[in-house]
Amino acid sequence: MRATGKAGEKIVSVDVEISPIFGLYTDGILNMKVEGKTVRECLHDLGRQFPTLKPMLLDQEGNLMHSYDYFINGQNVYPRDMSRPLYPGDKLNVVYIIHGG
Amino acid sequence: MLTEKELQRYDRQIMIYGFGKEGQEKLKKTKVFLAGAGGLGSPIAIYLAAAGIGTLRLADHDTVELSNLNRQVLHWEENISQRKVDSAAAKLGKFNSGIKIETIPGTIDESNVNKLVGDADLIVDAMDNLPTRYLLNRTAVAKGIPFFHGAVYGFEGRAMTVLPGKTACLNCLYHGATVPKSKFPVIGVTPAVIGCIQATEVIKYVVGLGDLLTDRLLNYDALRMKFSEFKINRDPDCEVCGQPARQVKK
Repeated sequence: MRATGKAGEKIVSVDVEISPIFGLYTDGILNMKVEGKTVRECLHDLGRQFPTLKPMLLDQEGNLMHSYDYFINGQNVYPRDMSRPLYPGDKLNVVYIIHGG
Repeated sequence: MLTEKELQRYDRQIMIYGFGKEGQEKLKKTKVFLAGAGGLGSPIAIYLAAAGIGTLRLADHDTVELSNLNRQVLHWEENISQRKVDSAAAKLGKFNSGIKIETIPGTIDESNVNKLVGDADLIVDAMDNLPTRYLLNRTAVAKGIPFFHGAVYGFEGRAMTVLPGKTACLNCLYHGATVPKSKFPVIGVTPAVIGCIQATEVIKYVVGLGDLLTDRLLNYDALRMKFSEFKINRDPDCEVCGQPARQVKK
């Protein structure tokens, strides 16, 4: 399933919303804009904007850590890979996989 | 068949449009496998008992500790060091003597899960770790019975209902991702909300009312007091439910 958006448009920005748990590393900011044509580029831009968040979010290979998941425009995506394209106006949610009971 | 006492006890919910005596009888005939008698398990058990679920099979290997009491409302100071299933069963039995409580004071694992779930009509997830959740999800899919997922962390909670063969399963959602096993932060009001949502889903499913939380992950952010949803599509390559799965019983 492909994220919505018009292919070929110049990337301007993508809206990102992160789980409240990440607010510790972003001064409480949970909604932000990032630039990038793929999930990887957007997450790395997020890491550049919030350097203390980066080691919490990305592993040494620059991939999203296994404890987290992402949704594009409010939907899960298959296959789940970092090269998935994003388009202007898309929204990327990054969530912590919570496990408590 | 409902007794006069049951008709009186459940009068207010029998009054609900679409619920009726038929709905109450369905609840009475239902056997629930509740995995976990802690933070989520407490409100789930209390509200299913209150609603008149027929049989509640409660599994938990833990004993009650002082640090449980901020959220696990079925357990009190006098129960510290007791098995959680015994502590829970004692309260639930006094609360509603008309329902059957079965207790399993052990760990759910690959070797015993089929036997423990047995002939239950559905599985409710009130666990505190992902591996057992995945195991219960696989078991639900294999048995073709619904799975009611819930999880909490701090002031956040999530819930999703799985109807095997029809809707996305837990593996479609998290694709087997793992989280390091660790003590997690939580305040009691969070599992209270999520547990009540899970119990509501069970009641709706059994009675046959409303729209279930299927193919949707409900996300509860108590600090911002926001409920939001993510659409969860079935993964055609899901290693749990991607193959032809049995249909749910109903």
